[in-house]
Parts: sequence; C-alpha cells; structure tokens
Amino acid sequence: MSTTTADSFAAPGPGTPESTRPVKAATLAGAWRTFLVRRVVGLIVNLALLVLVTFLIVQLIPGDPATAIAGESASLDQVELVRTQLGLDQPLPVQLWTYVSGVVQGDFGDSYRYRQPAMDIVMTAVPYTLTITIAAVVLLLVLGIALGMAIGVATRGDRRRWLDLSFSVITGIISSIPTYVLATGFVVVFAVLWRVLPPAYSPAYNIGAAAILPIASLSIGGICSVARIVRRETAVILEQDYMRTARGWRLPTLTLYVKHMLPNLLTTALTLSGIILTALLGSALITEAVFAWPGLGGVIVQAIAVDKDYPVIRAAVFVIGLISLVMTLIIDIILGIIDPRTLGGKRD
Amino acid sequence: MTESNPAAAVRVAGAPADRARTFAWNPGLVIGLVMLVVVALTAIIAPLVFGAQATGVGSDPGQSASAAHPLGTDTLGRDMLARTLVATQSTVLMALFATALSSVVGIALGIGVWLAPRRLRELGLRLIEFAVSYPTMLVAIIVAAILGQGVVQVVVAVAVANIAGFARLTANLAAKISASEYVTTARLMGVPVHRLALRHVLPNMAEPILILIAGAFSGALVEISGLSFIGLGAQSPAFDWGTLLNDGLSRIAVNPIVIVGPAVALTFTSLAALMVGDGLAAAANPRSNSTRARLVRAEGEPALVATEGDDVVLIADGITVTHGSTGRPLVSDVSFTIRRGEVLGIVGESGSGKSLTASVVARLLGEGLEASARRLELGGTDLIGRVSGRTLASKIGLVYQDPGTALNPALVLGSQLSDVLTIRLGFPRRGALGLLARAFEAVKLSDPEGRLRQHPHQLSGGMKQRAMIASAMSTKPDLLIADEPTTALDVTVQREVLSLLRRMNEQSGTAVLFISHDLGVVRALCDRVLVMKDGRIVERIDDVATLSEDTVEHPYTKQLLAATPVVAVPREARS
Repeated sequence: MSTTTADSFAAPGPGTPESTRPVKAATLAGAWRTFLVRRVVGLIVNLALLVLVTFLIVQLIPGDPATAIAGESASLDQVELVRTQLGLDQPLPVQLWTYVSGVVQGDFGDSYRYRQPAMDIVMTAVPYTLTITIAAVVLLLVLGIALGMAIGVATRGDRRRWLDLSFSVITGIISSIPTYVLATGFVVVFAVLWRVLPPAYSPAYNIGAAAILPIASLSIGGICSVARIVRRETAVILEQDYMRTARGWRLPTLTLYVKHMLPNLLTTALTLSGIILTALLGSALITEAVFAWPGLGGVIVQAIAVDKDYPVIRAAVFVIGLISLVMTLIIDIILGIIDPRTLGGKRD
Repeated sequence: MTESNPAAAVRVAGAPADRARTFAWNPGLVIGLVMLVVVALTAIIAPLVFGAQATGVGSDPGQSASAAHPLGTDTLGRDMLARTLVATQSTVLMALFATALSSVVGIALGIGVWLAPRRLRELGLRLIEFAVSYPTMLVAIIVAAILGQGVVQVVVAVAVANIAGFARLTANLAAKISASEYVTTARLMGVPVHRLALRHVLPNMAEPILILIAGAFSGALVEISGLSFIGLGAQSPAFDWGTLLNDGLSRIAVNPIVIVGPAVALTFTSLAALMVGDGLAAAANPRSNSTRARLVRAEGEPALVATEGDDVVLIADGITVTHGSTGRPLVSDVSFTIRRGEVLGIVGESGSGKSLTASVVARLLGEGLEASARRLELGGTDLIGRVSGRTLASKIGLVYQDPGTALNPALVLGSQLSDVLTIRLGFPRRGALGLLARAFEAVKLSDPEGRLRQHPHQLSGGMKQRAMIASAMSTKPDLLIADEPTTALDVTVQREVLSLLRRMNEQSGTAVLFISHDLGVVRALCDRVLVMKDGRIVERIDDVATLSEDTVEHPYTKQLLAATPVVAVPREARS
C-alpha cells in the first residue's frame, strides 16, 4: 500500500498556478526520498555511536579494567590473560580498530564462560525476547487504542462521568504497577494458586502456554498507559474543526470515528509507541527474570552479575540497541504512510 | 512516562497577561500528595520503630500470614511487614537521589546546549536524541555493567539513564520560550544571556519540569527496584523493595504471602508519584465542563409575518440560544427568512451570536448549549426534532472559517470529500469521485483528479477553501451556510473565494447564508444583510445597493459603516 500511495503522488503533479511551492506541493515522492535518506544516515550515525558505546563499556570500568573483570581473587597471570584477551595492553586507537573490525564481521570475541562466540550466545536468546516483546507491542497498541478510543467517545463532552472516573482510577493503578511486580503476582495467581499456567519457562512445558504470562504482564500496564493517552487525545480530536466538518456531512457514527478520527489518533499513538516500545524492551529484560525466560535479559544479567563476561555484555547491548533502532525506524515508516506530514519535520 | 503536554503548559505560561496563572487543585493531586506524605513519614519513622524487628533473626522462619506476622516471615524468620516498612527509607532515598541527580545534570545540560553556539547546539541535540531513543533500563544496565553492583552504582546508573530525558525537555522548552515575545523583548532591551536564562526562561519551565520530575521519580523507583530485583542493586545485608521481592520470588510456590509487602509498597509509591504528575498536568491545563447540545421548539406567536412566499427556502423564527449550565442568553429571538437564489448576510462583531445562529440552522450546535426556535424549516422540512442525517446532508452545504483545520489532515481529499456522497446520498464510489472532480473543475481547481489524491497539507489555503466549497455544492444543497469563509485567507484569495461563492449562487440558485464580521465583504456579496449585536438583530438592511450611513438607523450599524471601506467584488467569474 505504501508504494502505491507514494507512486500515485509521484505522478506528474497538477499544474498549480497559485501554489507558492508548485513542485513540492504536488508530490510526496520527494518527501519520502528525503525522509529515507535522512533516516538511513541517522541509522548509520546511531550504529556508529552504538559501536562506540559498547566499546567503551570495558574501557570506562573504574580502576584497572583487567583486574576488575578477572575478579579480586584472580592471580596476576589470570589478570594478564584477561588483559591480552581484551587487547587492553594495546594503545587505545589500536583497541578501537581491532574492536570495530571484529564487530563489522559480527565478532565480539568469545564468551569467557561458555567458550563460544559471544554473538552466538546472544543470537540464541534474541528470538525469545523478540517473541514476547513484539507480541506485547501489538497487543498494547491494538487493545490500548481500542479501549482508549471507546472510552474517549463514550465520555465525550462529559457524558458518563462515572465511566471516566473509574477508567482513570483503574488504569492509573494498573499502569503504576511495575511489570515485574505484576509478573510476580501473575505467577502467584495463575501458577501457584490456580495452577492453570506454567510458572516459568522450561522445555517441559508448551512454549505457547509458557509465553502467556510474560506477554500478559508486559502488555497490561502498557495497554492502560496507551489507553489513557488515547482517551485524552480522542477528546482533543473530537473538538477539532475537521471532525465538525465530518459531522456537517452527517456521516454515520462508525465512519466518523473509524475513518475520520482513527488515522489522526494513530499518529499520536504510534509516535508514543516508539517511546513505549523502548521502555517495554527495558521491562522485558527484567520480566524475563521472573519467568526464567531464556531471552536477552537473562543473558545480560548473568553476564554482568555473575560471570563478568564482557564479550557477551557488549554483544547483548549492541543487539538490544540495534533492535530498538530498527523498531523505531519501522514505526516511523508506518507513521509516514499513515500521515505523510510526519515525513518532513522533526518529531519531538 | 508522564502523559503531560508540556507544550500546552508553555502556552499558558507564555501568556501571563491574558490568563492569570491560577493553580487548580484537583482530587488526584491532593490524594497523590497525601500518599507521598505517608510514604515519607514511613521512610523516616519505620527504621526507628521496626529496625530491630526487620533485621533481627526470628524464631519462626518461612511462616505464612498470621496475627503476629500479617505478611509472613522470610527464611530467617524476619517479619516481612517490618522489613517492607523499613526498606521504604533505602528505596525512597535511592530513588530521590537518582531523580535529583538526573534532573540537576539534565537541566544544566539542556540549558547548556541551548546557550551553546549553533553548531554545538545541533550536535548536542543529536546526542540527546540518541540517548533518549535508548531503553532507560538498558542504559542503566550498561552503567551497572561498567560500575558493578551495589547501591551507589544503581543510583548512578538510573540517574545517568534519566539525564537525557531532562536534557531534551529543557532544551525543547528553552527553545520554545526563547522564541516567545517577552524573551525577545528582554533580549532587545539588552538583558544578558545568563540573566535571561535565570529570570525569564527557567521560571517558565517550572511546570512541565515539575511534571517530569514526578514521572522520573516514579520511573527511578521502579527501575532501581527492578535492578535490585535482578540482583544488580542492593547487596545483602542491605535491602530494598526490589531485593525483598526477589527473595520472595524464590519461595513463591511455598509461601506466596511474602511478596505482598514489597509489591504493594512499590505500587503504592509509584501510583502516588504518578497521581501527583497527572494532577500537576491537570492543574496546569484545566478542562472545561460541558453537557450535550439541545434544540427544542419554543411556544409563542411567530414574529415573522408574510413568510409563506412560494420561493422561501429557509424560515427561522425565534431562534434563542442559552448557555446550558449558566443559563446565560447568547442569542435572543432571532428571526429571518431566505428566498431561493438569495444571499443573506449576517454581520456582527465576535460574540454577537452570528455563528451560533448559523450553527442552529445547520443543526451543529456546540456542546453545552441549548437552543430553541418557534419555527425552523428548510425547503419544507421541519428542522426541529429528529431529522435524518441523509436529509440534512443533502439539504445543507457547509463552508467553514479556516480551511486549514476544517479538512482532515490524515485523509486524501477524494476520500474525505466523497464520504457524504457515497454514504449519505448513495452514490457509487467512482461516481462520487467523478462528481467531485467536476465540482473541483467548476471552482477552477487545476488537475481535479490529481487534487483528489492529495492530502490537505499539499494545497494552499485558498485552494482548500475552494475544495470545501466544491464539496459543499456537490450535494446540490438547498442552503449553503458559509461561516466566515474568507477570514482566515489573505486579501487576494478572499476576493477569489467571494466571487466564487457569488458565481455558485448565480449558477445554481442555491440560497446562501453568509456570516462575516466584515460589513465591507458582506455588502459586496449579499442581497440582504442582518446586523447582530449582543445576540439580537439590531438592523435589517433590505437594500444593500443604496446602503449608506443615512439609510440605517441603529448607531452600531452607523459605526460599522463608518469603519468599513467599500470593497467591490466582480459579479462575473474570473475568466
């Protein structure tokens, strides 16, 4: 759909005798091209920064990084081994060069603990994290927008004040429960008391059943947050002139809300969902701990807290950063398709 | 994440003269503050009272809820209620320190970036954007990976993770405020930059930043406890809510009661901060209350005589509009008729009730208003009471003041303008688009088919207004209501739109109700004119051609005339 829309705009524009910007006003193809070029350049810059950040994780360790990584009880030989393994005995520019040329080939070095390439360990965990995160994002966008819109329409112009109040109170309480607390609560209720769902991931359980609780605990708070924002935005959009225009055409309720209001809501909701999504990725790292979910959260926590496994930490941070960059880009592209106005300007 | 709207707060703050900063206390804010006070008192008192109980090893480990231990005991027999209460201090202090650190550094960075030379500012903003796009939790984990585990490390980690958010908000707000008129004025008067920042910019950022601080505190609390929960934060024997929750998780199958304390405490405190944030946001932008609009039939003798001419399109008799909740009259007993092919103007200053009168005729009265009329008939249809959407859609065409906001920005023109034809008038989609294309051609829009595929933002204001007129005329209405259709347009475009309306009226014979505050425009276009003031008709001008200060009676009309230069609108269409 995106390409057809873009292409139809690329067709020779109507002659615009009095438009002040005759060329620009007629096509969106130019806007798309500028947008994509800007985003690709942005992506490359961000990737470079990401590589730099992951590189610095080791260099910024206070004191002597090699001693800190090897541990207090390590012998001098072990410390020196770590030093040579991480190339810390080399001058900084050489270290950076070695690191960057490795990263370009997807090589972050071998895990200290597992004696395998760190990237392999991270990539094994990625699908698990992506599964619950993407499912949660889709759920929270679809349900959050539907709920917020329904409440916003039902309470427009101060109708049903009781509904407005109970909605605010209930969603306020739910959205302020930290996801890991919610997750723990779910385990108590569904796995310990009612015994209907598995308490944690294990090969013995059906993976679908084991994923229900992680996805639910990740998405429910977000659904409430999105619904609150959408409800407020609905109230704003209902007051807009173009909604009055649509009412002036006496359009039926469904057309009014689904066709004329929803696209404008989506712009806001998707703009926010970028922020929500990165927050969600962060919560996922912690929530995984509750369910022993074999995703990136477990990998990175184990690597930091127990193993001091810096190659794995670097690889995991890089991959998580990459995921959030790519997802943000995808959301911006979807936004551009829905509302081409977002192509031109910077969003804040 | 606060659901605030800093921009709106800035607008309020930016206009101190016309809207005094009244702080509207609301229940959410009060409850949130009370909850925070409870948390603060617990943080201070609990360690003094329950300190021994919370850390001393007890005699009955792993107990479930009982009278002595309402929330059970942990594996060392320590009372979980006491431990939860005592942990308030460490948890809240950690969150407070992290919030304070991130807000001070973030605001300083934001101001610094804003004050920096242009190049540096651009670079700084880029870096801030980069940092903001990262999951806060990931940044915190990166910092924890560098610094190691422990209380101080976690506080620093979460503070660092939240700096970018503060820096971005500060830089954005500073940019907005520094572009505002009072800062420009101060700058012109030679106020030095640092004084400008301290005296003018910072105070006006207080509201949005306070809202962000409330949100950041809630976030820091959850993040720090989260890091402790996964073992990166407080290490034994130190404990906070996160570690308590983690301890509970390991024994969740055996003794689930032990997670209740930390879970409730975390939720309670984070809810309190969220309510304060939302309450502050709501206090900054109070929402008006209103109820739905009504139109009822009024009893009484008709004021209009001899209205039953065969070519009368609209009969409006005794239109009265009152404000729903206050009962204040906004339009009082306004009566008029419009004949076929006639252009009736209503002129008056803003607030005179002219647009309200039009909205009653259009059956689009705003929320919170009540209207009545003794008689309201359009082309033989009674408009009081229930009228089908189809009838209204086919009989009334509407053109609004600002074409920039009256069109839906997210839909292409063809899609939004054809809805009324396909849904209400039963046209097939292709037929509706064809009809619109012809209508676009009639209003002299170039490349009509191409225009139908464009979004509103791709057209100029005048083109949008012509598209609106084309759409309004596409239903072949009995009456076209144009509410200040030229006010938002610049003068040359105004003339085009006026002559277009005139041509449409002459070609199709559609009656027009034309609302304007500009007597010059009205007398150039209209056959008859009503002058409104304070919700009443003060003058009826039946002969516009000979209109002069001598032919009118009401002093207000004389004033209007004296203040209006004569505008001539060519009766012929532009070729």
